[in-house]
Amino acid sequence: MAKPKVSSDWLAGCAGCHMSLLDMDERIAKVLELADLRSSPITDLKEPDATGVDVGVLEGGINNSYNVEVAERMRKRCKILVALGDCAVFGGVPAMRNFFTIEESLKRAYVETESTDDSGKIPSDPELASPQKVQAVSEVVPVDVFVPGCPPDADTIFYVLAELAQGRIPEIKDDKLHWH
Amino acid sequence: MVTVTIDGKQIQVPEGTTVLRAAQSAGIEIPTLCDHPHLTPYGGCRLCLVEVEGARTLQPSCTLPVNNNMVVHTDTKKVKDARSFVLTLIFSERNHFCPYCQVSGGDCELQNAAYNEGMTHWTLQPNWQPYPMDASHPYLIMENNRCILCRRCVRACGELVGNYTLGFEERGARSILVADTGVPLGESSCISCGVCAQVCPTGAIIDRWSAYRGHDEQIDKTQTICVGCSVGCGIEVFTRNNNLVRIDGNWDAEVNEGILCETGRFEPMSNTCDRIVTPLLRKNGSLKAATWDEALAFAADQIKPLKGKGKDGVAAIISTRQPIETIYHFKKLFADELGSDLVTTTEEGAFTQATAAFADELGKSFEGKLADVTAADAFMVLGTDLVKEHQVIGFFVKRVLAKGTKLLVVDSKDTPLADLANKAMKYTKGTAEDYLLALSAAVVKLGLAKGKASVKAEDLDNLANKTGLKSEDYLDAAFVIASNEKPVILYEKSVSPAALKAFAELIGATLVSVKGEANSLAAAQLKLEKSAKVDGHKVVVFAIGDDEITQKMLKDFEKVACKVVISTYASALTAMADVVFPATNWLEQEGHYLNLEGRLQKAVRVITPADEIKTTDATLKALAEKTGAKLDDDWTKEIHKRTAITALAE
Repeated sequence: MAKPKVSSDWLAGCAGCHMSLLDMDERIAKVLELADLRSSPITDLKEPDATGVDVGVLEGGINNSYNVEVAERMRKRCKILVALGDCAVFGGVPAMRNFFTIEESLKRAYVETESTDDSGKIPSDPELASPQKVQAVSEVVPVDVFVPGCPPDADTIFYVLAELAQGRIPEIKDDKLHWH
Repeated sequence: MVTVTIDGKQIQVPEGTTVLRAAQSAGIEIPTLCDHPHLTPYGGCRLCLVEVEGARTLQPSCTLPVNNNMVVHTDTKKVKDARSFVLTLIFSERNHFCPYCQVSGGDCELQNAAYNEGMTHWTLQPNWQPYPMDASHPYLIMENNRCILCRRCVRACGELVGNYTLGFEERGARSILVADTGVPLGESSCISCGVCAQVCPTGAIIDRWSAYRGHDEQIDKTQTICVGCSVGCGIEVFTRNNNLVRIDGNWDAEVNEGILCETGRFEPMSNTCDRIVTPLLRKNGSLKAATWDEALAFAADQIKPLKGKGKDGVAAIISTRQPIETIYHFKKLFADELGSDLVTTTEEGAFTQATAAFADELGKSFEGKLADVTAADAFMVLGTDLVKEHQVIGFFVKRVLAKGTKLLVVDSKDTPLADLANKAMKYTKGTAEDYLLALSAAVVKLGLAKGKASVKAEDLDNLANKTGLKSEDYLDAAFVIASNEKPVILYEKSVSPAALKAFAELIGATLVSVKGEANSLAAAQLKLEKSAKVDGHKVVVFAIGDDEITQKMLKDFEKVACKVVISTYASALTAMADVVFPATNWLEQEGHYLNLEGRLQKAVRVITPADEIKTTDATLKALAEKTGAKLDDDWTKEIHKRTAITALAE
């Protein structure tokens, strides 16, 4: 049997969940033995195969039109979609801005921030993705496996990947289940 | 008793028991959020829904009384689905993002409930509606975004404390927790007892000091007693790495059943006094750090030659916040061994001298217990401010007023409790004894006397005149206090116990005096109740610990040639001392306390003091050794020698 293909990507998050993935240390070799890692933000290939992968992993919430594209592409190309970490599962820390309007958030980030000089202005290039209310991944595309945690422990990520690589759906419960 | 079957387990419970309590008594766990064992069931969160055979819908187990032969299921798919749905609704209502919440990671009952149901995500997203947050209070933060509308805080504020500060404004999803009529909590009628924070299941009410200082599982918990006053509330002290993190009321403590006041809960945390960290000795006019040996040798040299010199000898004053063991050793050392004529406490017997002497005269105890207070159906609060001091007793009074318990407040000055009273009287002339006589006449006039009266109904007008009050007011007051079955008279001092007892007998009331500091009663038992009048004393020893003395006492003793001070904190007293011994504070030492109802309780050591800081007891023992005095540990026998104001519990 061919090794299952795995792709990952990150959206509106802090990359912490991918760091937590690296925290599994030498067990990452075991994951690579079990699975064929096709693409990820921390390897050379960034996009999942157009011909499809078995498992797609998304870190981060959806906070702009580009995130929507990435999430939709991943959903289309993978059989099982994993939402990894609190931002992907709930919206997480970026979702704090949902208590304000987009305009207020942009103003705070680009104009009022203490490190911004007087020339601070909100970027408005048409090439840029347009920001939106932060959503959990599951609000944009269907998600099969939810792995909450900020970040999820390396042990949990190893368990999830190992289970998926062996054709089982991981069950997140007890000490693997935390939202913080 | 009725029979109920829960998850196939047949149990018998008293009629009126709720399904939730019945299940708990059978060891069956039903998750809850708004329920609290010390509060009236509210049925607000719906997490405790169960399936009752024959019932049309799922039922909240916390408010549903059992019926005979009821069959309940708590673990069916229908129940579990409902729980997850209820939790989803709660999460969707406000900002319940765990990563940025203080209580996340073990201390949040909402999060724990979700984990227990195995919820990996929410099926409904929040509506992103911001709610107000109130950080105006010195100790508490009220964060409506974390609130689940369980109303535990509102119920605790009213039912347990009787303060009714917290309430809800608006309805449904718009409901917000407010203080009074929507004023900032810091400017409200809040008395900072903190019980709301203690019962809050989420991070909606947190206390500033313990916030982000560690989760409960990382914190050591020790059960001990508060020594803030004579009530002796049971507390749970939370420490981390030998640092004080939080103090909660101990729900299992018989004295206070979980509640605390500001003094007990928050003041120990906000203490900013400077610690004395090493012995200090006056050299060339100024206090310099010294070794224990030097300081002890100096003190012993001053004290020893004055043995048996009476009014020209040593005066010794100890704080009633110290454990009985320490007070006993203090008395033993200075009164018995060194023959000092002035060995007393910082309270000088103010709260107990008259009552203790009266008990001696009677040859028996005459005061009641806190159980009488909590069972009372009418209170007379005489000359004591239960809003300021002994606050927990004040809570016992305030919280039952809404249930119809009557309150008569009598004082010669204004007192805040008067606002809540059925009848408040301020006598402008005469004494408390005059007042009691007039009130007795009113009781007789109303025909409510249960015992023998020393006055007649006709005397009322005359007696009332003496106190500057009207006869009609006395009749109202007499009706409030004397028309009930179990009246309790709470008082402090400045009133003759004999007059009080006569009045109590007339109306069938129980007397309870609130006394002073933590070991007021123990000091009375050890007969340390002299007034601290300095004479020709050459040396004064202050074993003050973490207490303080009055300005008057400070001034009186300034002229004594040599001042030996055992103190935790730097103060005006230590500044004028000739030798200062660093002392542990209440959390760093252990020992016994007799609370106001004669209950003997042990305070345990919670925090390990620094090496150079010793307990007052250890310093006394060292002084005894240096002066050749012998101490023993027979304090238990000693406190039982004297008839106590209220019977001592064994």
